[in-house]
Amino acid sequence: MRELRIPTNWTRRGFLAAAVLGIATGIAPATGFAENIKIGVITDKTGNARFYAQPVLQGIMLAAKVVNAQGGLLGKKIELVIEDDGNKPDVSASKAQKLIDSGVVAIISNSSSTSSQQAQNTTIKTLTPQVTHNGSDTLTRKLDNKCFFQIGPLGSIQIRTLMAYAKSKNYKRVALMTDNTALGQILAKYFKISLEKSGVKVVVEQVVPAGAKSVLPQMQKVRAAKPDAIFQAGILGREMVLFFRAYHQLGFKQQVLGSFNLSIPSYLRTGKDLMEGVAFIDAFDPAKPEAKTFIAHYKKEHGKTPFSLPGYGYDDLMFLVQAIKRAGSTDKVKVCAALQATKGYRGVMGAKTESYGFAAGKRTGFPPQGAVVRLIKDNKHGPVVHSGTK
Amino acid sequence: MSDLPELLVTAFASGCTYGLVALAYLMILRPTGIINFAVGEWAMMGAFAALVLSGMLELPSVVGILGAAFALAAVGWLTEWSVVRPLVVRDAGHLAPILVLLGMLVVFHQAMLLIFGGGDEPLSGPFGFGRVGLGPVAGAPQDFFIIATTLLVFGAVWLFFERTVWGKSFEAVAINRRAAALMGINLRLVTALSFAGGAAIAGLAGVLDGPRASIEVKTALPFAIQGFSALVIGGVNRVEGALLGGIVLALAENLTQRYAPIPSGLSLGVTPLLLIIFLLVRPAGLLRAKEAS
Repeated sequence: MRELRIPTNWTRRGFLAAAVLGIATGIAPATGFAENIKIGVITDKTGNARFYAQPVLQGIMLAAKVVNAQGGLLGKKIELVIEDDGNKPDVSASKAQKLIDSGVVAIISNSSSTSSQQAQNTTIKTLTPQVTHNGSDTLTRKLDNKCFFQIGPLGSIQIRTLMAYAKSKNYKRVALMTDNTALGQILAKYFKISLEKSGVKVVVEQVVPAGAKSVLPQMQKVRAAKPDAIFQAGILGREMVLFFRAYHQLGFKQQVLGSFNLSIPSYLRTGKDLMEGVAFIDAFDPAKPEAKTFIAHYKKEHGKTPFSLPGYGYDDLMFLVQAIKRAGSTDKVKVCAALQATKGYRGVMGAKTESYGFAAGKRTGFPPQGAVVRLIKDNKHGPVVHSGTK
Repeated sequence: MSDLPELLVTAFASGCTYGLVALAYLMILRPTGIINFAVGEWAMMGAFAALVLSGMLELPSVVGILGAAFALAAVGWLTEWSVVRPLVVRDAGHLAPILVLLGMLVVFHQAMLLIFGGGDEPLSGPFGFGRVGLGPVAGAPQDFFIIATTLLVFGAVWLFFERTVWGKSFEAVAINRRAAALMGINLRLVTALSFAGGAAIAGLAGVLDGPRASIEVKTALPFAIQGFSALVIGGVNRVEGALLGGIVLALAENLTQRYAPIPSGLSLGVTPLLLIIFLLVRPAGLLRAKEAS
């Protein structure tokens, strides 16, 4: 039998160093990062919010790619761990637990507000930082979760911004249209409250039921009321097209003002040539420097210009990244503190001069003057014509 | 009341699409006794077939319309051959085909969701949007097109049943299947033609209605409900009853929405309310079956 002999021209120390180096390089991933920082994402891939959630997820993934390409976070690669809750609140809570068990340092909630709310019941137990762009005004109030942060434009900010624009146009008497979905009804309710608070009278209210074949009866009533403008709080795509067809058929000239839903491009496709001059709420100003950078990254990745939704996702992740950087650690307590201390962070979303930040004790970070009103021009989301609530 | 003429045009157009779906039910029901709720899916599929032909392949609108009708005729024929005929041949009873077709409803629906997704798509019509005046009445060009096409279809179907041998054989099968078979009428062919014809007409309803708004998979259920209600209101035994039922239903919906002093959201209740009233008070519908000569 032959003996294994250490080469005599190697020193023992040198041999041990070579052995350790060989073992270390054998274990380390080929990317060159020592280990990954896991960030969880709860999103809707299969439920009724997927049309909103999928573009946002694109933005989150793009942000992760950009960060990793620029050297990663604290010397490590970001690894997104994505779970589908189908927009079911109870599933969202269990997905949050699954993500926490898998070692994520934070969670981004990307389905509906009710799902984000339910997930909080899980994240609060382990003080896992949770970030969302949902706009519900009550998300940070129902549960005293000091590690839950909301950076999307609140519904109240959006509506106040639209009202400020309406006031600047001197509208006195308006019509209010909506559909019979729960969200459409809620939007209509808040539109009406805000309009009346602003001294604008709602002279006619009409509902377009889902599945309607025509909106002509409702629009004839609107025409009879002679409003200065028409506020459109509905969200259903097909019924929105019906509304605009009837609008043109009856020769309306009044401006239509819509909610954030009209910032979704599918309306421009199905309502082609029907929506010229329509005003809508958005939180995205393409002229903002940070938005321009994001647009460039997105075009490079996807070959087309983004609309607002991927921007929300991009900001969700980048917001977490900046907090983790300032914390210098992925320790959950430190990250929470860093998130709460965020001030003046300029993201993709928000009006040109605005930035995210949290007032003391508050966990809603979207700037009150950050929402904008844009016009639809040439079948595209056109320029910002108003920003803020003043 | 200057709104009324234009409102009537839109109501008649809606009534025509309900009437076409009711006719689709009737085409299958009369010779076979089978209520096929999948006609709503066929109407929706017709719209998407036109989207593929006119929208994606950019063929002329008339090709899209006719192509969609033929495509749906093929779907109807295949449905009858694959799932209905085996049950009829095995004498599986009256309920079995109805249940199987309910299952096919789910299959069609899910297949369309897989292929086209749950969002809505634009379907352009031959005339664009806007307003056309014809004497004292005015309306959307597509509405006038729907009315004209529907009258043509109903005229053709009425002539088929009343004036052709094949139509009479449908009638004979409806009256007595066994006797019709003994008289030499090919029951399988009549059944297959009824499914193909019903599917084509349902598909046509979807194609005509699509350009009024946009198309989406979930329009299948409203088509099925409104068509069925129109059938019950008009009478299940008369071709003209299907159209009358559709128009009565659409008039009730539109006039309620326009003139009734109730919140506009409540107008949703018109269809089910009318259905319940007719089932309770006049289940045979407005037009009773003709007396056999």
